[in-house]
Amino acid sequence: MAFSTVGCDSANAESSSESGSASLADSSSGDGEPVTLKITWWGSQSRHDYTQKLLDLYTETHPNIKFEASPAGWDGYFDKLSTQTASGSMPDIVQMDYLYITTYAQNNSIADLKPFINDGTLDVSSVGANILNTGEINGKMAGMVLTTSLLAFGYNPDVLTKAGVNMPTSEWTWDDYISMNKTIKEKAGIADSASIDPLYDTNLFNYWVRQHGEKLFSDDNKSLGYQDDKLCADYLKMWKDLMDTDIVPNPDEFAQIQTLGLEAGPVVTGDAAFVQNWNNYATLVAKSNDKIKIVTPPMATDSDAKGLWLKPGMFFSVAETSEHKKEAAEFINWFVNSEEANDIIMAERGTPVSSKIREHMVSSGKMTQQQKDMFQYVNEAAKLCGETPPPDPIGMSEVNKVFKDVGSSVFYGQATPEEAAASFREQTNAMLARSN
Amino acid sequence: MKGHKNLIGKLYKPRDNVVGYLMLAPWLIGFLFMWLAPAVTSMYYSFTDFNLLNTPKLIGFDNYIRIFTTDKTFIQALKVTFIYVLVLVPLRLAFALFIAVLLNKKHRCLGLYRTFYYIPSIIGGSIAVSVVWKQIFGNKGVIMSLLEVFGIHQQTSLLGNPKTALSVIIIMGIWQFGSSMLIFLSALKQIPGSLYESAMVDGAKPAKIFFRITMPMLTPMIFFNLILQIINGFRVFTESYIITNGGPLDSTLSYVLYLYRRAFTYFDMGYSCAMAWILVAIIAVFTVILFKTQKSWVYYESGEN
Repeated sequence: MAFSTVGCDSANAESSSESGSASLADSSSGDGEPVTLKITWWGSQSRHDYTQKLLDLYTETHPNIKFEASPAGWDGYFDKLSTQTASGSMPDIVQMDYLYITTYAQNNSIADLKPFINDGTLDVSSVGANILNTGEINGKMAGMVLTTSLLAFGYNPDVLTKAGVNMPTSEWTWDDYISMNKTIKEKAGIADSASIDPLYDTNLFNYWVRQHGEKLFSDDNKSLGYQDDKLCADYLKMWKDLMDTDIVPNPDEFAQIQTLGLEAGPVVTGDAAFVQNWNNYATLVAKSNDKIKIVTPPMATDSDAKGLWLKPGMFFSVAETSEHKKEAAEFINWFVNSEEANDIIMAERGTPVSSKIREHMVSSGKMTQQQKDMFQYVNEAAKLCGETPPPDPIGMSEVNKVFKDVGSSVFYGQATPEEAAASFREQTNAMLARSN
Repeated sequence: MKGHKNLIGKLYKPRDNVVGYLMLAPWLIGFLFMWLAPAVTSMYYSFTDFNLLNTPKLIGFDNYIRIFTTDKTFIQALKVTFIYVLVLVPLRLAFALFIAVLLNKKHRCLGLYRTFYYIPSIIGGSIAVSVVWKQIFGNKGVIMSLLEVFGIHQQTSLLGNPKTALSVIIIMGIWQFGSSMLIFLSALKQIPGSLYESAMVDGAKPAKIFFRITMPMLTPMIFFNLILQIINGFRVFTESYIITNGGPLDSTLSYVLYLYRRAFTYFDMGYSCAMAWILVAIIAVFTVILFKTQKSWVYYESGEN
């Protein structure tokens, strides 16, 4: 008897909450009605741990808000999200990436946060307009940007010292980078010292294109933005040469390196000197090796165009189907603006967007050396930063895949860099013209 | 004829069917909602531009046209899958038959052996085994380290080389021969001993006995296994997803993996559904061809053919 009653009640509760979404969304959260927010994010175990702590803390101060968290790794995160979204069960709060935000926004799967910014629920007064607007798609605020991130090279000073190589500075060039690695190989006997996959995605190539004064995509996102395929061919040729001389791991070796995870990667363990990552790299691996440093990526030898750009690190988006948009926006506001939350986050997700929080963190004295370096990096890199490009075109993951394929065909010796560059243009343009 | 019909009408009243349908219900519900509805929906989606998040937009045969005219990756996936099926299925069946014949003897630990040989089929398609496989054949894996010990240095592992990666996946497939083996084994037990006895009396050699008695008697099971394995082969996914993720250079990109990627990585659900129906057609063609050739090589003891 008791069992059947419980069963009926929960079933009723579910069906009523589904059908009555409109009325619930309108009601404000002030009445303390119990609300369960579903939230999902990707990240490492340490991110899962402290984010859960954050959620618990928020529930302590807002007893009516409970969370149902589904933390995940990056792999498969967006596969799962797309399926959930298609079936109408997207979590209320979703950690969102620049790569996919346009797709979700254009399909009206994520809610416009502008109303909450306008009514003061979401305070963006200490967030720079440029970075804030990266979340704006077709006039709607599709995501609240949480962090800024910048392309960076991580390096292990011990390895460089062992080979008698000077530490890189923000003025170093690709030529310096190549000669440093050669020296490391000869003097310290470390092969594959640049533990970099130049085809991992198109970010590093984008940087290369920009530092030669061109753009990766045209303004209407319907084609590639650069005209001369030599640019792409040169990029592939440089890396191919480095692979052939055992300075950079080949795709097969890199696949194995990736299975080690960031914290046990060769740069952290002293088996390689350089890695390409983001400016929170040193912070991410600090637990395993606290000596790792970051530096801006190498400059072009023959051009002084500004290649870097301030990239939105990640967003929080709210599902259009959510019945608790207001509560979700309140939580995001707390996440972005409150000192107590950021004392726990400790910039693990990247440099916080709020200038007040950044000041708070610098003055709090709680920051580790890596975190100070990360904040310092933003200032240093500003000199090398050009305009922030518009959000990635729809079909970006397919562009990345095509780039990986044409590049791999060069690395496996099945195509010349010139053929690969032409093929990249042909395939990408066809795809972009169709989907944008 | 007419009298027959009336008789049936008298004997079975409509309400008697209720019980029948009720008994059928578990299957019927499953068929309608778990099979027919998704199948019809996917057929509809295959004619739409649908990215999982938008409302599907009818575009006629555009998806199919795109697949056959512009998609090089589709051709590659098709090629990989055909090679996989055409190499794997004969080898797997041959191996299954070989082991079945070995096990078809009176031996003390026979049950134990059968279990051992069947284990790979149970666990073979699982993620855990795929991961192990990756550790064995991948970069810095067991094979590579062993070769290193003998002084053979390789730039790429077997799985990292576009020329050899598919072979590793195929070998893993052959290893999962257990279910075919069990079917062969039970069929071997069905062959009347009298046939063998008379052959022996006539002085036939073991090889002759095998090809003149065992093989013909097994043809129905070979036929059955062939169809089953071809259908399964075309649906290969886990191995290429987990071990190589289709790489290197799409050399292990199976059809279903590409279909999955189209749907959930590139948000091209309509296109992906069209691909699914093309796969259905391919499997159907293979099955029909096999059934057509059946008369010429499959021997049914009790049948009229």
